[in-house]
Amino acid sequence: MSTASLEAVVDPGKVQGWINAIGSDPSAAVPILQAIQTEYGYLPRKAMNLVVENTQINASQLYGVATFYAQFRLKPIGRHLIRVCHGTACHVQGADRLNTSLRHAMEIEDPKQDTASNGSYTLENVACIGCCSLAPVMVIDGQAYPSLKGADAQRELLKHAREHNEILAGHDAQE
Amino acid sequence: MSNAQWVITVGEGTCGIAAGAPEVTELLRKRFPEAEFKSVGCVGMCHREVMVEIADGEGKTYMWGNLNKKNLPKVIRFHRGEAALPKELLIRSSEHPEVEGGEYLTRQTRIALRNVGQLNPTSMAQYKARGGYAAIEKIIKNGMTPEDVIEEVKISKIRGRGGAGFPTATKWGFARGAPGDLKYLVCNGDEGDPGAFMDRSLLEGDPHSVLEGMLVAAYAIGASKGYAYIRAEYPLALKYFGMALEDARQAGYLGHNILGSHFDFDVKIKEGAGAFVCGEETALLASIEGDRGMPRLRPPFPAIKGLFGKPTIINNVETLANLPWIINNGGASYAAIGTEKSTGTKVFALAGAIARGGLVEVPMGVTIRHVLEKIGGGSATKRPLKAVQMGGPSGGCIPEHMFDTLIEYESINATGAIMGSGGMIVVDSKTCMVDLAKYFLQFTQNESCGKCTFCRIGTLRMKEILTRICDGEATLEEVDTLEEVARTVRTATLCGLGQTVANPVLTTLKYFRHEYIAHVQEKRCPSGVCKALIHHTIQNDKCSGCSICQRYCPVKAITGTVKQPDTWVIDQQVCINCGMCAEVCNPDAILAA
Repeated sequence: MSTASLEAVVDPGKVQGWINAIGSDPSAAVPILQAIQTEYGYLPRKAMNLVVENTQINASQLYGVATFYAQFRLKPIGRHLIRVCHGTACHVQGADRLNTSLRHAMEIEDPKQDTASNGSYTLENVACIGCCSLAPVMVIDGQAYPSLKGADAQRELLKHAREHNEILAGHDAQE
Repeated sequence: MSNAQWVITVGEGTCGIAAGAPEVTELLRKRFPEAEFKSVGCVGMCHREVMVEIADGEGKTYMWGNLNKKNLPKVIRFHRGEAALPKELLIRSSEHPEVEGGEYLTRQTRIALRNVGQLNPTSMAQYKARGGYAAIEKIIKNGMTPEDVIEEVKISKIRGRGGAGFPTATKWGFARGAPGDLKYLVCNGDEGDPGAFMDRSLLEGDPHSVLEGMLVAAYAIGASKGYAYIRAEYPLALKYFGMALEDARQAGYLGHNILGSHFDFDVKIKEGAGAFVCGEETALLASIEGDRGMPRLRPPFPAIKGLFGKPTIINNVETLANLPWIINNGGASYAAIGTEKSTGTKVFALAGAIARGGLVEVPMGVTIRHVLEKIGGGSATKRPLKAVQMGGPSGGCIPEHMFDTLIEYESINATGAIMGSGGMIVVDSKTCMVDLAKYFLQFTQNESCGKCTFCRIGTLRMKEILTRICDGEATLEEVDTLEEVARTVRTATLCGLGQTVANPVLTTLKYFRHEYIAHVQEKRCPSGVCKALIHHTIQNDKCSGCSICQRYCPVKAITGTVKQPDTWVIDQQVCINCGMCAEVCNPDAILAA
């Protein structure tokens, strides 16, 4: 599989715009990275280099920050993002089964891989989204799906894929 | 329907939206185009989402819960006089006092949550109509000095609600007395405990209360700049708090010469980027400064030398939300609630195997059992409750036989758990305590910033041993090693994370050692959770032959003929013990043991 096709094309003008709006001193590191990731879904290397060249933030600080916080990712993401909540309430109510069923649907076997090979979906675990009474929960592109069983997660994903013209070759759980 | 104006109020916090509030609202708007629609934050009855209150303009009110597209027509038909009362959906009503779904709320004492679910969080006018900004006006118009404010808060004896429980007024006193022209006040909204969501509900349900609390605190310590550090995982909280700042600025509650006084204060939002350790004060400050969120050696304490080297006070969201109430009602009224050393109320986020999960605010000094049974309604499953996990990854598990423990700082600490920020996860007999300890160590090992060797390496070693226990590969000596590592990490680390990181291990070892022993000696997981020690088998006498398990099995390990229960079997060579089949099996015919 290749994620090369998912690499973002970085617009230097946009990066400079964020720097101008947020600031160029070291305390701007986190918000600048957040702006980049909001735009591209991850932190493209080219954008990071532009930040280092055009601010007082040096490369070691910027990469240090980018690798410290869970929010930031250095690899491109698929066209859609699935976030499975792994808060305590979700864990004790079977969040792992959501991952198992989703990974099967996405045909991902390598535990280090998180994006379907056709670039359709990326599966990410998050610490807690704070909807503990609706556990277990997953979020696809910002929309939350409450009180799921493992099998429900797969069904919701397949439904989402159909609605967004994405192909999921994986195991199909018919109704 | 009469011609009076109907008012339909929909709970649209994050939980409500996730449970489907937008589609319920859309449908109601179509059916009641004349009605006035109001959006409120989360009232905290998460187990009844989606919730809607319908008032007919003539004094009749109906609060409905568990609404969805399918059952909503029943409610609509009822209001049009076309159908009988769908009682199962009614929470409370002015017309039906016999329906007591409201007891979840009436058994609480709401101070911090006084406005949550009662007002539109984006409306400053509604906040003011409920007595909002009266505290800061009282302070300035009555000429209260910062010392007067600190004294009032001292009388209230409120302790920091973020977890450690340090007296708020004492902390303020340090910063007040610290030399320097520029001081900072930081609102800690980096609610990183998995299982806690009271800060989210406050920030998105009543942002002005938190902001007014910041004004009170800033005035007391003499801060002119403030930061609200809110986690990025809470988009609605960020949005509503941002709107509250804008409105407060317009109204003159933020900026220069607030309400005509010499008090200047303004607030910037800092979006957290996802690091549990940033709940620790000094790590949070490092994060605002643009660094990796790694704790710093104390002293100097932030109250003396904090953000950008200036005196800084960091207060938790819930602490701040209590402050306007304390100023308006007096410290003594607050101190009258709760116990001698733990005054006031505490908000808990109740979740897990509990019938009625959600936000609960109770006076300090009630028992855990009171919260779980009287308010939470006991077990949600038919299985008995086993324990409650309090305080998240820094906290511990309190077993059922200790549910009569009082909710106050000292009593909770004596159990080995901590009050923490207020997460309460209830578990029943199907939760493995060793697996739960492993879950927390996986979390903290991942979140350890790496500065202290004992935390960095210690969490990894503990996680490894716990994994070996769950896999049935550990020896009894390793259980002792686990305990020894846990005690060492506690004493040899710098910050609150490292010092408490072993609590989940130590409390489960203390109260559930027999479960550890079963894993090690009998190679058995008594709760049927640890994959390496269980097998899924079909009990053919209970099986209905419906084939649903086969359809949901991700590895196609299940075979059989439809409607012939005796033919169904799971191929143990193929089965990955994911448990999906047991989850979907209606007659509960799949055994995990």
